[in-house]
Formats: sequence, C-alpha cells, structure tokens
Amino acid sequence: MTEGLIWGFVYPNEVEIQWSVLIVLYPYITGLVAGAFIASSLYHVFGKEEIRPVARFALLTALSFLLVATMPLLTHLGHPERGIEIMFTPHLTSAMSGFGYIYSFYLVIVAVEIWLSFREDIVKMALNSSGWRELLYSGLALFSYDISEKALHEDEKIAKKLAIIGIPSAAFLHGYVGFIFGGIKANPWWSTPLMPIIFLMSAIVSGIALLILLYIASMKLRKHPIDHKCLESLAHYLWVFLILDVALELLEIVSMKYESLEEIDIINRLLSEKIAFTFYGVQLTLGILIPFVLLLVIGLLKNRDTLKMILISISSVCVLIGVFAMRWNVVIGGQEISKSLSGTLTYVPVFFHPEGVLPALVIMTLPFIILLVVTYILPPWKDMEEETTQMGSILKKKS
Amino acid sequence: MQPHLKRVIILLVIALIAFIFIRSLIVPDSFGQYGWYRGESVIDNRNLQVGYAGSSSCGEENCHKTIYSIWVGSRHKAVNCEICHGPSNDHVNNVRIMPEPANESREYCGLCHFERAARPANFPQIDPETHGENLRCAYCHNPHKPWFV
Repeated sequence: MTEGLIWGFVYPNEVEIQWSVLIVLYPYITGLVAGAFIASSLYHVFGKEEIRPVARFALLTALSFLLVATMPLLTHLGHPERGIEIMFTPHLTSAMSGFGYIYSFYLVIVAVEIWLSFREDIVKMALNSSGWRELLYSGLALFSYDISEKALHEDEKIAKKLAIIGIPSAAFLHGYVGFIFGGIKANPWWSTPLMPIIFLMSAIVSGIALLILLYIASMKLRKHPIDHKCLESLAHYLWVFLILDVALELLEIVSMKYESLEEIDIINRLLSEKIAFTFYGVQLTLGILIPFVLLLVIGLLKNRDTLKMILISISSVCVLIGVFAMRWNVVIGGQEISKSLSGTLTYVPVFFHPEGVLPALVIMTLPFIILLVVTYILPPWKDMEEETTQMGSILKKKS
Repeated sequence: MQPHLKRVIILLVIALIAFIFIRSLIVPDSFGQYGWYRGESVIDNRNLQVGYAGSSSCGEENCHKTIYSIWVGSRHKAVNCEICHGPSNDHVNNVRIMPEPANESREYCGLCHFERAARPANFPQIDPETHGENLRCAYCHNPHKPWFV
C-alpha cells in the first residue's frame, strides 16, 4: 500500500510519518493562546479603549486554550506520564526541553493577570454569596477582601506590568514553537530563521479571528447587541496583522525560489504536488486573499453594521481555516519530503487511532468547554454589555 | 505591598519549592554521574544476562570445527552463527541445552537479500516474486557458504 504513496528515493525510517495531525494541532492551539493574549494586551498595555469589551474575555480565552495546549503533545507520546521528566532534567542542547518552563511561566502570568483583572468581581461575589459559592470565590480571592480604590489601583498597575512581561512571553511561547521547526537544519522546508516570526504573526491573526467569532457567538447567545466599534477595531487589527503575516510567508517562499539552493527541486515538487491544494488553495487564497479583500471592503462600507458583521465573521472563519492549513503545510509538508531531497512521502490521516483525527477533534472541543466553565465562574459579560446597554438607553431616551 | 499581592507571591513561592522538592525526590541520585542519564543504568545493563556466546566459541573445542572452517572463509563470514541459530550462550555452557532451530524462512534471508532501491547495486538481491519458485533459499543455496549451490 505504501508503494503508491512514495516517490523517488526515501530512507526506510521516513516511510511512516511520525508527526501526525496532533502535532499540527499543537502550534495551532498555542497560536490561538498567544493571539488572544496579544489581542487583550491591545487594551491592557496599549490602552486601546475600543478593545475594552473583549479584553478580559480574551484573557479567559487564552487561558482555556492554554490549558489544553500540552494535550496534543501528551496524547502523541506513547508514555504521557513521562512528559513531566522534560522539566526535571532539561538539557540546553534540546529546544524541546524548554517548552515545560516557557509554558509554566506563561501559565502563571496569564493566571495572575486574570486574577488581578477579575479580583474586584471575585471579592464582590464572595461577599454576596453563600454556601459552596462563597467558599469558591473566597478561595479565589485568597481570603483577602480589600477592594478599596487604592488596592484596585495598585492591581491595575501590576496587571499592566504583567501584561508588558506577558507580551514577550506570549511571543516567546509561540516564537519558540516556530523555532523548534525553524531550527531543524536537515529539513529545508523548515530550516529558516523566519519561522518563529511567521508562526508568531499567524498566531496573532488566528487569535484575533477566534476572539471575533467567540465575541459574536457569545453576544448572539446572550441576545445582546454587538459593540460594532469594538468589532470593527478587532477587524482592523486582523487586517493589519494579516498583511504582516502574508508578507513574511511570501518572503520565505520568494527567497527560497530566488536563492534556488540545492533543495529547490524538492521544494518545487512539494509545492506543486504534495501540498499544492492546502498551500495555494487553502492557506493563501482562502486564508489570506479572501479575508484580506473582505476586510478591505469592510473598511470602505459605511453604516451597514449587519453586513459588516457578516463579512467580518466570514473573514474570521477563513483566517482560522487558513492558519490551520499553514500549520498543516509546515508540519505535514515538512515530513512529506525525504531527507535525501530526492523523494516524497504521503501522510494519510486516520480517524479512529490514538494519533488520529478523532482525538484531535476531542482536544479541539475541550477549550470551548473549559471556556464555558471559566466564563460561568468568572463572567466577563459586564464589560461587553454595559457599553451597548448604555448606548441602547441613550438611543431610547432620544427616541 | 497590599496583603492580597503578598499572598499570591507566597503561593507562587510555595509552588516553586514544591516543584524543587518533587524534582529532588524523582530525579535518581546517580543522574549525571557520567553524562545526561542515570549512572546506575550502566550497572543495570552490566547485570543483564548474557545471551550470545560469539561465533568463535562454536568453532573451539572441536565442537563444530568443520562447519566453522567452511563458514569462516565464506562471503557470509560477517553473518555470525547466532544471527540464524539464535542466542547460544546456555548451549555453550551446557551442551544438553539446545538452541532454537535456525530460522531458514525466505523472509528471514530476504531481510538482507530482497531487492531494495536503497541497497548497493552490487549486493546480491532477488525479486521474491520471480526468483526461486517460493522454495526455501537453503534448498539451493548453502547458507554457510553462499555460491556453493
């Protein structure tokens, strides 16, 4: 069966593709984390007031996805219980051994940031509830109920400082994932110093797109009007980062083609045969060109809020699919060329398998369930709803 | 500093100390003794039971001298006795314990001799579909002295 899937000269240990769809999922999920966090810091650090309605929601989204970020890797390992050992005895010559530390550091930053920005609500809920809820919120408040103006002001200052540390750590978390691929010199499709920054840009793009969709979905579910100013501002950032992303992605391909080093033949074959559809079709056309044009149209439209919202949603869905295709093309594409540089292999995804599509789907639904639970415990809806409610009441008064 | 911030810092310090404590319990003492691995694994490996005796022990003491002298001059001299006949250390120590019978299936010979693009062109290779009518290789070829058909 494998005969038809192989072309040219390949090494025996390459025939079975080891990094499956789960390893595609890992940079995808970490990218969504980094992107959502950076979207929230547009408000927390750069003071973009129009992002405020989704700033805390973005932090919760980042946390929900961060909590499952290790799962594709642990599922991929034959012995998931040994995963922790990478933290007990890390080695400087292994880029992978840094993951545990970078991940934990970032988890602490996100958790403390969320805690600080929700502390006022937590304390109020602890004081106004009874029974197990009181215990839960008191525990979350660390049994310290000081929400005087001074204390909250200090919280805000520290939260801002943390967000300033958080941005480079988010960039580090995801740039590092890119480095794991970019640092593999034996694979010409991966080995480029541009890889970390390409990963980072696509991470920001996918994170903002996810945030847009979650915002629209949660407002629709809660039957609350959408803050179009916030939505359009997010769409604007999506567009800006999309341009940076496509510029870097094309720069990589153009420099590869222009330099035409010895590996160009196999890269050409990869692009024209193995991943032609997912690269040109999904990653570049569906994932970048279509949202780019749609977002451009949105900038030109005036006072057509519903149409804009539909176009922004379509662009966000396209971006999310496109970024997944980008991760696919990197992870799977890189393994579909032989280290001999004169042969290709084929990855055939299976459904019911520990490394298959089913566990990938399960892992991908988990962050949404976690988000549901987290938003139940720490509702971020107040920020999203108060502004539009105020606007609604002003409009009512006027009429 | 506000008391609630102090509590967060204390919590983080406790988590850090817990990590260091658990690490000290879990990482084996001999880790790093020789390199980036558990030093005692060397002793563990040394204590494993020896299974293979080596080809020279087959030809010594007049046991299998004739076949040994044929094999040692053949093109199969790099394929040691125990590769086909199985681990024989117990047999060398006690002749009553017989080793497993030699594996003489087509597939076993084919591990080296079935056609593969990655093998050097001058290495003897056959296409199992067309060569030998599905007979055991040893039906025609002498494994102790190939080409001695």
